[in-house]
Amino acid sequence: MNVEVLENLKKAIIEYDSEGAASWAKKVVQDRIDPTKAIDVMTVAIRQIGDGFSRGELFLPDLVGAADAMSAATPIIEEEIKRVGARRESLGTVVIGTVYGDIHTIGKTMVATLLQADGFVVNDLGINVTAENFVEGIKKYNADILAMSSLMTTTAPEQRKVIETLKKESLRDKVKIMVGGGAITQEFADSIGADGYEPTAVGAMKLAKRLVGK
Amino acid sequence: MALKGFTRNFKPLEILTEEQVEAIHRGTLEVLWVTGVRVEHERALKLFEKNGCKVDYDEMRVRIPPALVEECIRKAPSSFHAEARDGKKSLMLGDNNFYFGGAPGLQSVDLDTWEPRVATRKENYDSVTVLDALPNVHFLCPYTPYFGFEGVPPCMAMLESQAARIRNSTKCICVGFSNDSEVFAIKMAQALGIEIMGTCATAPPLAMYRDAAESLFRFAEAGFPLRILSGQVMGGTAPATIAGGVITNNAEVITGLVLAQLIRPGMRVLVKDFSHPMNMNTGAPGFGSIVACLHNAASNQIFRKYGVPIDNATCYPNSKMPDYQCGYEKALRVLVAGLSGANLLLLHGSVHGELTYHSVQAILDDDLAGMVGRFMEGIEVNNETLAVDLIEEVGPIPGYFLNKEHTRKWWKLEQFVPKVADSLTYPEWMNTGKKSCLDYAKERMEEILTTHQPIPLTPSQEEDLERILEEARRYYKERGLISEEEMATYRESMKSPNYPYE
Repeated sequence: MNVEVLENLKKAIIEYDSEGAASWAKKVVQDRIDPTKAIDVMTVAIRQIGDGFSRGELFLPDLVGAADAMSAATPIIEEEIKRVGARRESLGTVVIGTVYGDIHTIGKTMVATLLQADGFVVNDLGINVTAENFVEGIKKYNADILAMSSLMTTTAPEQRKVIETLKKESLRDKVKIMVGGGAITQEFADSIGADGYEPTAVGAMKLAKRLVGK
Repeated sequence: MALKGFTRNFKPLEILTEEQVEAIHRGTLEVLWVTGVRVEHERALKLFEKNGCKVDYDEMRVRIPPALVEECIRKAPSSFHAEARDGKKSLMLGDNNFYFGGAPGLQSVDLDTWEPRVATRKENYDSVTVLDALPNVHFLCPYTPYFGFEGVPPCMAMLESQAARIRNSTKCICVGFSNDSEVFAIKMAQALGIEIMGTCATAPPLAMYRDAAESLFRFAEAGFPLRILSGQVMGGTAPATIAGGVITNNAEVITGLVLAQLIRPGMRVLVKDFSHPMNMNTGAPGFGSIVACLHNAASNQIFRKYGVPIDNATCYPNSKMPDYQCGYEKALRVLVAGLSGANLLLLHGSVHGELTYHSVQAILDDDLAGMVGRFMEGIEVNNETLAVDLIEEVGPIPGYFLNKEHTRKWWKLEQFVPKVADSLTYPEWMNTGKKSCLDYAKERMEEILTTHQPIPLTPSQEEDLERILEEARRYYKERGLISEEEMATYRESMKSPNYPYE
């Protein structure tokens, strides 16, 4: 029975079914199934989608559809993990967002999905995220990695501002910072003191692992 | 069921007014009746005469009365089925259907220097394999891919080329004619139980020489469909004006159409516009010329009025390599031909005019065919595609469409994704070796050649094919068209353990 519930949860993510994913996640809680097992199958599902995307067999709408379904189930499962006092295994915790003034969501969502697929716990703060919100997110989730995106040259300087704010808050050395987006180059990343830059979402997975020494 | 190909789902381009169409039609009728056409074939002349044409046997000239022209145009089917070796790949030519075919090339090209050179037997067979694999190739024209290849005497080129197309492709094929080659071509098809499409090429201005008329008779008697073309050069063998060129091309192909309908009423014919302005510096046909596009558009409008399936086998560039010029020449020719109602377009593989061909070019052209084909399909408008409910559901920012089921379903139906185009971002492009579409096309050619297996002939079909080829070799040898030396080289070329494939 447990296996069936977990299989259905996995299937809902692979079939981009947000409502189904949420309702199977609730069933996990209701049936007292080990929530870390639920996280495992969700990771397998999102990895399957991520792998398909890396091979060019699946596309952005699939990646985002699966990410949405995953996001619908994740808070329910995480609540349960907290309740039972279990520990979630992961490569590390990421806080990700598109910087203030910039509402480009797609590249950031791709990276978030692929990092999740790779085994990171990803907290997506969304778009138009202020430096203060990033700081808050890093504290709240006890993040290992901060990932920032800006697509426009006009919003790129916001990344510098976030890093400066982290320094003021004495948080800079607590997180590894990776940056990306259409407006970012390696030179820019170096100039603002980021720890890494990657032009592609698939490359970002490798970069994140390198940053946490995995 | 015929192969789907593409469908033009909107009104065709009308470059001429109704009055202009009538003026060209009247001009055509006048030329056919007053000037007439030279037809160097006694049996044809007698048949014309019997059906009310004025025939001058000394001049071999036939003058066709307007009523007979119009009657024969009505008799020609407005659309027809052309059979392929694999029945699922047969074509339904006519109406709004739109198909692509491989173009011919005299020689191959070197991919580094772009200089022409004779193709090898292996290259010829491999090139057919590539055409068999490409999804947007529906038809293989005569001489496709090569007019001949190493070791083969010229008089056998047509038949060896046909054998290669039959062996390595199950798609619809067409054959040419030269020195009775069509006799053996028809024999091959009949022995194998397949259909082939014939060709009758008139000789502009206003003539049909003996071999062309004979080919027409032979295909009519075999009950096979036929393509009729002229191949005029405006300013040389046709008037320099587009309107005048449309009249002479019309008069020439309609002479063939009338003869076909007199021999076999209801015979399946495809009429072709293959007209180019003369390059007044070199005398060569202006293959990639925009004037040829105008000629296609006007001819196609007239042919549509006649209700006869249309072939615009004219996507040959002047460029010598797949560069910017090649791209615009091909793209404009294909798009205009499609917009104006062509049913068949020979595009794939031509590197320069009809002089050179390469599989890498055919692979690049397959993307162009897919793009233009997609354009022809037009825009689907219904409640689901209008998406008003979805737009309401998503609303303004931060809503977006990428995560919607509607997007997952429709983007694949709406978009055409080229297979070998460079579509990377700068960083991806720089990190993957700065590849161009040409690099991708080379890779795809290798992939097709290692993975695609054309459906082979049965052993008895293979035996029949080789027997008829051998019969043709003896026929041409006896007629002195193959010298002793040529025959020795030819026999030597057949000794490979992988014959006929290399």
